[in-house]
Amino acid sequence: MRTLECILLTLITLGLTPCTRAERPTNEIRAATDRVLALLRDPALKTDARRSERRQLIRKEFDQLVDWPTIARSSLGHHWAKRTRADQAEFVAVFSRFLEETFIDKIETDSGELDKIDYTGEKILDDYASVKVQITTKDQIAHPVEYRLQKSGTCWRIYDVLTEGVSLVKNYRDQFDEILAKSSYEKLVADLRARTPPGAL
Amino acid sequence: MKKAYLEFVVGLFLAIGIGCLAWLSIKLARKEFFARDGYEVQAAFSNGSGLCPGTLVVIAGVQVGRVRSVGLEDYEARVRMVIQRGVVLQKDTIASIKTKGLIGEKYIELTPGASENCIKPGGTIRDTQPAMDLEVMIGKYIQGNLAKPDDKSPPAR
Repeated sequence: MRTLECILLTLITLGLTPCTRAERPTNEIRAATDRVLALLRDPALKTDARRSERRQLIRKEFDQLVDWPTIARSSLGHHWAKRTRADQAEFVAVFSRFLEETFIDKIETDSGELDKIDYTGEKILDDYASVKVQITTKDQIAHPVEYRLQKSGTCWRIYDVLTEGVSLVKNYRDQFDEILAKSSYEKLVADLRARTPPGAL
Repeated sequence: MKKAYLEFVVGLFLAIGIGCLAWLSIKLARKEFFARDGYEVQAAFSNGSGLCPGTLVVIAGVQVGRVRSVGLEDYEARVRMVIQRGVVLQKDTIASIKTKGLIGEKYIELTPGASENCIKPGGTIRDTQPAMDLEVMIGKYIQGNLAKPDDKSPPAR
C-alpha cells in the first residue's frame, strides 16, 4: 500500500494523471476534451497575464493523451530510418512542439465557435482503436473527426487524427516527402523551427 | 499415318489457340488465379467507392499490386489486394483511395511508414484514408457559403 502511495505521489509530483484503470478510448477522449474546454472557458485564465499559464495547462493535457513521438516518427515515413538517433530525437522534439503549438493556436481561436461535440462511434481491435466524433459549430456545420489511438499500458494515446477524412500523419508524410525530395533534412527542421514560437522550443 | 499426323498438328494448334485465348481473357479481366507473384494484404475503408477487382495499387506512382476483391464487412469496404513479392510494407503504412485526375478512375496509394515491423502476408493495413466524395465536398462548400455571417438566409441544417 505504501509503495502504491509512493508511486501516486511521484506521478502527482511530476504533474501527470495516471490511468488508474483501463478506460474506454471514447471516455478518455471525452474527459480530456472536457478538461481542455473547461480551461478555455475559465474566465480567470482568459486574461493576457495568465494566457501562457493556460497554454501550459492545455499542453499538459495534450501530452497525456497524444503520442507525439509516434506521430513524429510516422509523419517522417520512410525517411525516419535514414536519420541518425540524434536527428530522430531532434525531429521528435521540434515537430511535436510545432504541432502542439499549432493545435493550441487553433483551438484558442476556434473554441468560441463550438456548439456541441457528439461521440458517434468507437471501434477497438486488439491494441488499436478509433473514436469517431462530430463537431458542430454554432452555424450548424458538422465536421467529422476520427481519432486513432493505440493502447499504451492501461492508457489510450492518439497517434493520428482524421479531419473530414484527411489524415494528419498522411498529410505531413506527403509534405515531408516532397520537401525532402527537393531540399534537405536540415532545411526541413529549420523551417519547422522558424514556424514555431521561440518560447516554445 | 500422314492423316493422323495432320490431325495431331491441327489439334495441337487448336489447343494452343484456346490456351492463348484463356490467357488473354485472364489478363484483360485482370484476374489472378495464383498469387505466386505476390502476397495478399487487406484494408478496411469507410468509403471504398470506385474500387473493384483489378484496381491498381501504387507506391510513389509505381504499380506494386492490384485489388483482388472488395466486400462489405461491418459496414465498411474490406479490400483484399495482392502486393508484389519484394515490396515491404511497414505496419504504419497508410492506404488511401485516390482518383486519376478530377473524375478519373480510382486507385489505391500506399504511403510507406517508419515502423520497424512489417505487414506479413495475409496481414492488414491498419491505417486507411477513404475516398473523397466530390459531391459531399461541393455540398459542404455551398453549405459553408450559406452560413457566412453576412448572409441573411438561415444556415442549412
